Order: sequence, then C-alpha cells, then structure tokens
Amino acid sequence: MKSKKQSYDKVAQSFDFLRAGDMRRWESHQKTLFQNLTGKVLYVGTGTGLETVNFPAGLNVTAIDLSRQMLEKSRERVANYSGKMHLCQMDAEITGFRDDTFDTVLTVCVLCSVRHPVPCLKELKRVLKPEGKLVLFEHVLSKNPFYAIALKTMSNLTERLEGTFLDRDTLSNAEKAGFKILSHKNVYLDIVKAVTARSA
Amino acid sequence: MAYCSHLMVNPDMNMFLAMILGGLIGMILMTIMMLLLMPFCGAFEVMIPLHINGMLIGMSAAMLSTLPSISTHLITSGGALAGLMVSVSVYFSNKHLTQS
Repeated sequence: MKSKKQSYDKVAQSFDFLRAGDMRRWESHQKTLFQNLTGKVLYVGTGTGLETVNFPAGLNVTAIDLSRQMLEKSRERVANYSGKMHLCQMDAEITGFRDDTFDTVLTVCVLCSVRHPVPCLKELKRVLKPEGKLVLFEHVLSKNPFYAIALKTMSNLTERLEGTFLDRDTLSNAEKAGFKILSHKNVYLDIVKAVTARSA
Repeated sequence: MAYCSHLMVNPDMNMFLAMILGGLIGMILMTIMMLLLMPFCGAFEVMIPLHINGMLIGMSAAMLSTLPSISTHLITSGGALAGLMVSVSVYFSNKHLTQS
C-alpha cells in the first residue's frame, strides 16, 4: 500500500477538481462554522487550501499538511488570504508544536484520513490551549442503516485507493480523546457534520 | 441500471446467482457514475443515492430478469420508478436531518 504522503502528493493535481462539488455545497456552512476561529489558529490538513476562501479575515493561521505537493498547490490561496497564514509540512499525528500553543484547532475532512484518529485528536488537544476550541468539519458514519451500508461498502474501496475511511465515528473519537462536544450540526444527512468542541 | 442488469442476465440463470450478478453490475455502474458526477454535485450527495440505487435496482432487476413473464419494459420502468423513489426519499431525509 502507498504511504499517505505519496497518495496525497499524487492526488494534489486533481484535488481541486474532485472537491469542486463539495466546496460549492459546503461554502455557506463552512463560513458559519469558521466564525468560531479566533486567536492563534492551527489549520490541520490544509490540502490545496480550498477552505481558506471561507475563513474570516484577519486570522493568525498556521496551516499544516503531510503532502508537499498539496502545500505547493495551496501557496496562491494562502498568499491571497487577508490575514497571517504560514505553511508547514507536518504529520497531524505528531506535530512539532509545544503544549498549549493554539487558541483554535481546525480540521476539515482530516480525521477520516489519519491512521489513528484518537491519538491524533489527543495530539491536537495537547497543542490546544486548555480554554481553546476544536472546530471540525468532518464526515462520519451515518446512524441510518441504509446510509451506513453504503458508507461501509464504499469505505472498502476508498481505504485502498486513497486511505480515506468513510465509517469513522469522529464525535465519539473526539470524546475518547478528552474533548467535550459543544455543538454539532448536520450539513448533509447525518454524514457531513460541523462540530465545535473544547477540552473536557 | 435496471436495463443493463436485464441485458447481462441470462433468463435461464439461477435467481440467486442473478441477484449477485445484478448487485455487482449495479455497483460497477454506480462507481462509474459517481466518479463522473462527484466533481459537479459533491461526493456524498451522489454516493448515497447512487449506492442504494445500484444495489437495490441492480439486484431486483437481475432477479426479475430470470422470470419469463416479466418484460424488459416493465423491468426498466420499475427500475426508473424505484430510482426516483430512492432519490426523493434521500432528499427529504436530508431536509429532515439538516433542519432538525
């Protein structure tokens, strides 16, 4: 199996095209959710920086991604952002930041792709200040059995092709990592969710 | 999807095998359509209805194709109607879940 980094490097060229439909549908939901971003922000899994257009202006953002190709593709969007944003190539499961560094941590469709979601969330909790906020825009396994079958079947394919899991229970994982869910809103069915959480 | 399953299934085939083959055909067609539609409509918005349709219609159409009394026209129309019902159900399910 290809490494995550290789697989994201490879998909970087077609990433914007593949995500175009999602971005059109999610724009207003992301703009509302991203109003929760305050202070020093860690943007995990930047990808090609698609979501930066939905960020409120004037934030101080540290954007990390595992893939160099993705980061290269994101440079133009990062440069156009009306605030401070700098890029780092880093693994979300082992970041190089000190404890209690950030006021807000944001992930957009990241916890479906990391190898170990709970340790990754624990790492994000470590770098988040105790009163800080975790903001998630993620897809999770549906509670509806018809949708869950579809997601579990497709997950077998996406896991092999691009290392994305469609059957994760991210809200429970966040609680296992020591977060308390403050709010969660369904964006599409009960699969795509906008979530805010803080340290329990 | 129903028409493709009907074309691929031999009327003399065992109904259970036809169901498996129909499900497989539905899944393959669903994956192709998903890849084509995903950049325009969103990944999950196409994945969920297409997946349910692919399995349900592919399997049912293939099973019905083994019955000599069922015409191609009936299978195709039934498939189209079932597809429409699934899509409408997912649409209203989404309305309910996102507004609650």
